[in-house]
This record gives sequence, C-alpha cells and structure tokens, in this order.
Amino acid sequence: MKTQLTLTPNPINETPPEMSDGMGAVVVFHGVVRDTEDGKSIRAIDYEANEAMARHQFELIFDAIEKQWPVESIRLVHRVGEVAVNEASLRVEVIAPHRAEAFAACQFLIDEMKLKVPIWKRALH
Amino acid sequence: MKVTVKFWSYFRDLTECDETSLEVNEGETLGDVHSKVMAKFPELAEMKNSTLKAVGVNYQMDEFVLSDGDEVSLFPPVQGG
Repeated sequence: MKTQLTLTPNPINETPPEMSDGMGAVVVFHGVVRDTEDGKSIRAIDYEANEAMARHQFELIFDAIEKQWPVESIRLVHRVGEVAVNEASLRVEVIAPHRAEAFAACQFLIDEMKLKVPIWKRALH
Repeated sequence: MKVTVKFWSYFRDLTECDETSLEVNEGETLGDVHSKVMAKFPELAEMKNSTLKAVGVNYQMDEFVLSDGDEVSLFPPVQGG
C-alpha cells in the first residue's frame, strides 16, 4: 500500500489520483472549518501538531488499515497553523478495489486520528 | 537521570512554559513523573484523568519505566480533523 502524508501550513490543493487498473473506488473526504465552535462565532482555527509523534501515529493507523483492507493507497493532508472558516483542514483520499473497503478504511482512519494523532485546535474569534 | 517533559496545546498555557526538566531515580515510571509534574504545576492536576502521555513518539502507560534522556509529552485529548 502506498501512503503519502503531509502536514502543512499551506492550503490544500487537490491533484488527480494515481491508481492502477484494478482499482474501482476513490473516496475523498474533506474536513472543513465551520463558522462556529461551542456555539460561538469564529473566524478560523489554529491547528497545532506534535509533528514527529503525529507522523508516527498516522503511520501506525496506515499499517492497521493495510492489515484490514485491500487498500492501494492513502493520501492525507492535514493543515497546521491558521485555517480560515470554509477552508479544508483535512483531506483524505483512499483508493481501493471496491467502495465498501474504501469507505470503511476512510472512516477508520479519521476515527483513529481523532483518538490518537496529537493535533489540537484553538478557535480564533 | 534526567528526563524532559514537553507540554502541548493548552497545557502550555497552564504551565506557562514549553517544557521542563526533571531528575528521576532509577526505576521511576511515567506515572511517577506525571505526579512530580503535577506537584510542580498544580494547574495540571485538574486534568489528571484526561491527560495523554507519551514517551518519544509512542503513547505509554503509567507503568512505563523511564530511561535517562527520555522525552515525555503530556497533553490534553487530541482534536485533529
């Protein structure tokens, strides 16, 4: 399974997926900054990462996915620093032979990230 | 032995520092160091049960025995995405 992991302060720019002929499903998820946090209006979220540990924890999640589903590739970009309302803070792309495993792996990845990957947010008003 | 303890997210605001160094005895555990840190920074005690603990890039349990030069991270629940 190929993986590509990016933690970046730059906007997330989509690029077309590279995939082999046997692949039939591409699931792409964008997490986008909402305009409220805890019921209060915000202008942005400032993301902080413990980068070395975040990379390691993402790799552990990728390894777990590879053991569970026949995923060909995962590309993940998570913003760090200030991300304005309506901008994507997270982009996940999962490529697999069929949609069931692509959706399941994507869901698993994001659920695990929210439990284990040391990234925190601070609302900016 | 000496270990470094790094604080992340709002734990840094509570301690008003990025990190601290602690002298630890042979055989002392991550839980022991967490207790020492809470004694030094009482503001962290309220979050005792929700604090996540890592050594290097791996999460560890309180029973983990520390070595000289270890880098401990203490932080609140993560919020990526």
